Amino acid sequence: VAKTSLTSPPWPEVELPDPVEEAKYHAEVVQKVNKMIATGQYGRLFAVVHFASKQWKITSEDLIMMDNVLEAECGDRIRMEKVLLVGADDFTLVGRPLLGKDLVRVEATVIEKTESWPKINMHFWKRHNYQRKKIIVNPQTVLRINTIEIFPCLS
Amino acid sequence: MVLLSAPRWLRSRLTDRFWRVQEVLKYARHFRGRKNRCYKLAVRSVRRAFVKSTKARREKKRFLRALWITRIEAASLEHGLKYSAFISNLLKSQVELNRKMIADLAIYEPKTFKSLAALAQRRRQEGFLAALGDGKEPEGIFSRIVHHY
Repeated sequence: VAKTSLTSPPWPEVELPDPVEEAKYHAEVVQKVNKMIATGQYGRLFAVVHFASKQWKITSEDLIMMDNVLEAECGDRIRMEKVLLVGADDFTLVGRPLLGKDLVRVEATVIEKTESWPKINMHFWKRHNYQRKKIIVNPQTVLRINTIEIFPCLS
Repeated sequence: MVLLSAPRWLRSRLTDRFWRVQEVLKYARHFRGRKNRCYKLAVRSVRRAFVKSTKARREKKRFLRALWITRIEAASLEHGLKYSAFISNLLKSQVELNRKMIADLAIYEPKTFKSLAALAQRRRQEGFLAALGDGKEPEGIFSRIVHHY
């Protein structure tokens, strides 16, 4: 049959590796990473956490400031549960979309609850004698991330 | 000041003009030219500055998102993927990192970004294979190959 522009798709032809061999390779890698986590061969861990409708990239001894009120008193320990990604120097654990609660543990303490600097909202239309000025002060909370721990329960 | 009788009111004079003027001038101290000293010019400049800052607070979000997208595009091109392919395949693999995080990872965690790019590439290839299907013609349809017997 003659070759036209539509005989083959416009993307280059790719072959995926053998599924059986791939499954074996995946199991090997998972076991290696599990061993590394169990023996504690990682340095500093970083995590991507979804908190206060924002995503933060955090490590231990980190300060985070949120532009809203948290219903915890100063000095309370908080566990952040929605962890999207955890990584160290040699491996990363990517959640789809979240990682399990029995795999990662992120602890934080509430340090400070203050108000933001007074932000000024002004509207002005020229030649119409219209101006409105409003001062907005948002409550803020400061958290210190104490620890990020991972447990070797990969499968 | 509380003035307790009418004769006192009629003879009152404005005594805190200095502080009312300073309230406006304190926001103009870092401006250039006479508008950092003269009240009449400063009032107009300060008003414009406030209005511009309110509008800029809304535009900052758009600007930062465009910046993150540019950075992710540059980083994914280094790994041989375009931004559209990268983001669409990441979303199809149910990884819900937003653009700010991916841009930060691309800057500070290059190995993690490389693994994300590899994930997106692999999902892209699987998508191509799924789109091709079995390679057979659909049923009940004349093939375009005409057999002459």
